[in-house]
Amino acid sequence: MPITRRDFLKQSAIVSSVAATVGVSINEVASAATLNVEAGWRWDRGVCRFCGVGCGIQIATEKGKIVATKADINSPVNRGLNCIKGYFNGKIIYGKDRLTQPLLRMKDGKFDKQGEFVAVSWERAFDEMEKQFKRHYKELGPTGIGFFASGQHTVQEGYAAVKLMKAGFRSNNIDPNARHCMASAVAGFMQTFGIDEPSGNYDDIEHTDTMVLWGANMAEMHPVLWTRITDRRMNTPEVRVVNLTTVSNMSSGISDLEIIFKPSTDLAIMNYLAREIVTRNAVNWDFVNKHCAFATGPTDIGYGMRGSDKFDYAPEKGTNGRELTMMLDAQEAIAQGKQAGATVEQKNRNTADKHWLISFDDFKKGVEPYTIDFVAELAKGDVDESLDDFKAKLKMLADLYIEKNRKVVSFWTMGFNQHQRGTWVNEQAYMVHLLLGKQATPGNGAFSLTGQPSACGTAREVGTFSHRLPADMVVNNPDHRAASEKIWQLPAKTLNPKPGSHITKLLRDLEDGQVKFAWVQVCNPFQGSANANHWIKAAREMDNFIVVSDGYPGISTKVADLILPAAMIFEKWGAYGNAERRTQMWREQVPPPGEARADIWQIMEFSKRFKLKEVWGEQKIPGLKAAGFADGVLPDVLTGSGLSPEATLYDALFATADNKKFSWPDAVGKTHDNHVSRLLGDHWFPEKALFEEYASFGRGHAHDLAEFDVYFRDDVRGLKWPVVNGKETHWRFNEEYDPYVKKGSGFDFYGKAFKKLPSGNLDGVTNAADTDISGKAKIFFRPYAAPVEVPDHDYDMWLSTGRVLEHWHSGTMTRRVRELHWAVPAALIFMHPDDARARGLKQASIAWIESRRGKVKATVETAGRNRPPKGTVFVPWFDEGVFINKVTLDATCPISKQTDFKKCAVKIYKA
Amino acid sequence: MMIKKYLVSALFIALSAGSAYATAPIKTEEMGLSKTSVFDVPTPRVYHYSDAAPGANKLLPRAYLGAPPQVPHAVSDFLPITRENNLCVACHAQPDLWGKKLEAGMPVPIPATHYTDRRNAPDKVTDHLINGRYNCNQCHVPQTDAPALVENTFSNKKKR
Repeated sequence: MPITRRDFLKQSAIVSSVAATVGVSINEVASAATLNVEAGWRWDRGVCRFCGVGCGIQIATEKGKIVATKADINSPVNRGLNCIKGYFNGKIIYGKDRLTQPLLRMKDGKFDKQGEFVAVSWERAFDEMEKQFKRHYKELGPTGIGFFASGQHTVQEGYAAVKLMKAGFRSNNIDPNARHCMASAVAGFMQTFGIDEPSGNYDDIEHTDTMVLWGANMAEMHPVLWTRITDRRMNTPEVRVVNLTTVSNMSSGISDLEIIFKPSTDLAIMNYLAREIVTRNAVNWDFVNKHCAFATGPTDIGYGMRGSDKFDYAPEKGTNGRELTMMLDAQEAIAQGKQAGATVEQKNRNTADKHWLISFDDFKKGVEPYTIDFVAELAKGDVDESLDDFKAKLKMLADLYIEKNRKVVSFWTMGFNQHQRGTWVNEQAYMVHLLLGKQATPGNGAFSLTGQPSACGTAREVGTFSHRLPADMVVNNPDHRAASEKIWQLPAKTLNPKPGSHITKLLRDLEDGQVKFAWVQVCNPFQGSANANHWIKAAREMDNFIVVSDGYPGISTKVADLILPAAMIFEKWGAYGNAERRTQMWREQVPPPGEARADIWQIMEFSKRFKLKEVWGEQKIPGLKAAGFADGVLPDVLTGSGLSPEATLYDALFATADNKKFSWPDAVGKTHDNHVSRLLGDHWFPEKALFEEYASFGRGHAHDLAEFDVYFRDDVRGLKWPVVNGKETHWRFNEEYDPYVKKGSGFDFYGKAFKKLPSGNLDGVTNAADTDISGKAKIFFRPYAAPVEVPDHDYDMWLSTGRVLEHWHSGTMTRRVRELHWAVPAALIFMHPDDARARGLKQASIAWIESRRGKVKATVETAGRNRPPKGTVFVPWFDEGVFINKVTLDATCPISKQTDFKKCAVKIYKA
Repeated sequence: MMIKKYLVSALFIALSAGSAYATAPIKTEEMGLSKTSVFDVPTPRVYHYSDAAPGANKLLPRAYLGAPPQVPHAVSDFLPITRENNLCVACHAQPDLWGKKLEAGMPVPIPATHYTDRRNAPDKVTDHLINGRYNCNQCHVPQTDAPALVENTFSNKKKR
């Protein structure tokens, strides 16, 4: 029975008046009153589409449409609360310009790179895609193709993509947008602990006394965690919250202490803390001696740029030239114990990740220059603040960390990760917590948050990075390849031992013609990657074929050659993994519109077009050198394998006999459809089968996932891995909670990577013989390093970029929701009013933002939610009309290859 | 003008029709939220938030049952929210108004759900605002005069 507006209001009034009695159960009241409205609605669990917090939601559908969503009261993450974006999980899929048919650039009925988009059938689309793929694959081999994956891929989609690329096409050129988001965190975890992902969980917020935000504006970027922090702070007078940032922001409202620092000087502040811990005799020696080892690495590692000026625009040459040689400024010289003005050749650009053990005395020598006087002078970010005030703040920060019985959690996301020394600064966070022994216990720990909803679950755990395999394994480790080949039932040496191109290099490969076929799924790399003028030109003007699967048209679809309409989040089955290792799943809720199809269907359908003889014969891999392989060549693995050369990759990788044992329909499906299974037409359940196959990588290896059906149980709202004997793990590496910890050890940092190391001093290796530090975590000394581009006479301001609360990433979903678009319709230039005035600008002026790489126009905001200090501007990147990544610099952390979107030099002037 | 109109409708047909394939090509410049080439640099429109005092404007329609209400009045004087100062709460914490018919100009009371600690005592309405709900602007946002970029067909129950 239809509900009228009047009924609706009447019921709302009932909710309010009944619940007005203090002490009454709000849930009972609400459910009774909404019963009539909801008649005919089907409610089912889901997980929020947006950030890495991973809030649980409930989704109501009626007649094949989502009609409402609500925050899940039973989710331990968010307990019935969403942020403003989260409330529009349903509405994001209903923009009128959803892509519902494949679109191919054509002229006169044929594909033409210069043609306009014309709607075609899926068969026509795949025909062209196959033709173009095979043309380029034949010419260039596995390194000539690329796949842009995503931290928003479901677990199963990412798994299918990595299996098709690495096992099927024998190409490691798959890398996710999560490279831009989490790679420095991963490298920090791997080098420090030998295993990826946090030891703690969100309950740390309710257990701790102190929360320190390092370049993480959680009020906007992790809003529901911020509600938990706010609750904790305001309910408990002795709790303290510190906000370290380069731009005063919304998180400062609840914070006790706001510290505005200069870009990159977080490295120096961390070493000041370490020096204080040492000089105040606050090192927890019992913990450090038992569980830690000291380490360092080279400093001449470059800035992750090309190192060649062949493709530079003329103004770029200065900055880019420093990739090979950098002149040390006075403060960097002090910080690194070197001569000011010295020109340092960046010799370790390609060996940036090497590191070795050092003594505590060397560590102490390393942090010695980082006195309060030196660091305060270097790091103070607001010219209007007095040096004494800034020093007092740094001292308060040190006091909070060091206070004996005070629990401390440090949070960070993009401020650390998008950093030219991102891996270093991640490691420094662990340095501070490990020195104090404040790690891996409830309420104590350095906690790397994540940006995307499945950056952890898919990009990291499944391993859709160019060097990774599932469960923290890597392609350049022969044991890991062998283990993967066994699970995947591949002939030995099918997998390619040479890591592929990371996402920024994939774009550079398009520009220099090394990659000529690319497939983009669930990401918008041509809007989201720095120095974008190069990449949009490469996409449109080079001889290449770019396929973009998406729900909506955006910048990436506009530079594509073929657009594939994708099913969006609740139009397919899926799983996401959040930042506290919690894996959550959902069912298909509604059918995709028109001919839109799930990405996983697209991957499997495309795989049907390849016979084994086309991919598993001998393949050239330029530069490949690995034990057991001829230089530059992957062997023919088909001959003598007993496999039919005529079998397809679909048969060999996906619809295997084992996988087909998982049949569809399945009881767990209840009344829900599975359009992927239905369209494949061979009666198996791909999302369940591939999840179980994937889970076999991690079970027994400290990455244990529960069985597929368990995640749909009424009493389960996601589980934090490792899930051992049905029990999730709350705090890793801690004997009390983690079944993988050696009994009697107390703590056991059992990750296996990088645990056998040479030793030396701050200058290098002095003893090449390996020492085994199994079970220990590393305390790294990492020095301050100046950014590769700093403001100067011509480009006189810092530019930092980021997100806003109301929009997700490139805005393709949230800007199609009126309420969110109305709230924040355009990206603004947040700047100090004095800086605006000095340039003839004021509130609501239109201004140019120009760097050596490009320029865009935006509206000036001098009184908004972000209040930069003089000399800095902040511009969000969600708005394709303010294409700020034309301006940003594509320097990366040389270890993690993650782009630094947070600092480059620009000038601002009236438009 | 005619040409532009034709292209827009071609795009509409191509993007929203079912299985019948539109043969008219779609100009790339007409796709997406910025109707321009990716190589162009558009000049942004300047948008304005309401400068109405609280109570002066009518309530905005809810997006759907359960969606957080949007703010129909100016907020710039009330932000930022700090631990010491929350002017939203100062006006909207009105439990006495629960269930009462609101006269024009009266503040919408913060509802009983916000007085319930769902983490620790999920079933009981307390006599105070839960601090987890203190950051009002994480859910309740003001609105500008911006036209919608694209129509959205999400079905609000109230429209049936």
